[in-house]
Amino acid sequence: MAEAELDLLQNYLTVGAIVFMLGVVGLIARRNLIVMFLCAEMMLQGVSITLVAFSRFHNDWGGQMLVVFIIAVAACEAAIALALILMLYARAGKLDAAYWQEMREENVPPYIDREVPLERLEERRWPDLAPAGVAPEINEEEQSHRSHV
Amino acid sequence: MIAIATIPPHELPKWYEIVLTSPFAWAIGLVMVGLWLILPRGNARGRWFGALCGIVAIGLLAWHVPRLCGWLDESVFDGLAITVVVACGATISVRNPLYSAIWFGLALVGTAGLFLLIGAQFLSVATITVYAGAILVTVLFVIMLAQPEGHAYYDRLSWEALLSAVTGTILVGMMTSVIGHATSGAPLPGERTPGMALEIIHPRGSDRLASVSVAAAGIAEEDREAGILAEEHVAGFGRELLGRYLIAMQVAGALMLAALVGAMAIVVHGRRTDGRQAIRIGNM
Repeated sequence: MAEAELDLLQNYLTVGAIVFMLGVVGLIARRNLIVMFLCAEMMLQGVSITLVAFSRFHNDWGGQMLVVFIIAVAACEAAIALALILMLYARAGKLDAAYWQEMREENVPPYIDREVPLERLEERRWPDLAPAGVAPEINEEEQSHRSHV
Repeated sequence: MIAIATIPPHELPKWYEIVLTSPFAWAIGLVMVGLWLILPRGNARGRWFGALCGIVAIGLLAWHVPRLCGWLDESVFDGLAITVVVACGATISVRNPLYSAIWFGLALVGTAGLFLLIGAQFLSVATITVYAGAILVTVLFVIMLAQPEGHAYYDRLSWEALLSAVTGTILVGMMTSVIGHATSGAPLPGERTPGMALEIIHPRGSDRLASVSVAAAGIAEEDREAGILAEEHVAGFGRELLGRYLIAMQVAGALMLAALVGAMAIVVHGRRTDGRQAIRIGNM
């Protein structure tokens, strides 16, 4: 029986490690603030899987209790982070983390986009919806970005 | 393959032969290539090849870890684990943040299933309720508010996709190999000595580097049935949460209150003042 528990532990720890790794990669690679936030949550999920597996293995409630507190802290984090993201968006007009690179260290060179990729036509696909009602007037200024939230 | 065949048998294998013949090393390499290809890099070339590399890597890693006993457990676990990993990979790779959030929701559902499978029923429900029900919906709300068109150039770019992929590969390689070695010294079935020591075996298998004392390897099935796997799971959970962890729960409640007030303060303060003036006031 102990061997089966060890196998279960190893399986769960491996899944937790992979989920944590994907969260780390997403957090350091993606530039959208909201996606970065989701990746931080993903790292918490990986740790939660690990803790629950250890809780089962050691027959101890401690791991599951810690996951409860992780969920509570994640909820707090979501409230704060999303409020901050909304405020940053209201200031910048975009969700790009590179926009806030003025806050970097003094000796770090600025990050400049070498090539801004153009959007391909097939990516600009909208869902096919049946037209209903009157078409609203399009504000030309708000086509590029929205100045207010 | 020719080089391996010509080496005399008494000679130790070189490092590149170990790497080339080990499915684990292939899995790690494929993880790196797959991650690099699926991250947004400005163009969409090679995305599907990257996804294929990732799936092959998942298969190799799944082959690397031991099977669970019972084909039903194994297949359910495999299905959930593959759902979680694929959904997480899609979360970090899709261009549209809206789809990112929806893929993350699928990952949360898979995680809840994994919790349910291992006997954490309350946490499974809490994950669905709090994460998928509250946090994810708030995220979707913010995306709709901030970026309804969903097409922005910074979603098609990454900071240093290759370096991020290498970092993640090193991280997951170290973690999975440590996990494999720490749990490879499996105790024999029926051996239930408390404080059993699991050996960390050197990759060559020749010398023992260290031993980790895992006190729980010898827990009898009856103890588990009375503890984590008890039929009245939520009752035991609540007894523990409101007994031993009562103070911690109160602190968590206070933290949530503070976070709520803080979130409102951020929004109200940001609204009242404008632009750089607000930043200056916030820094004072």
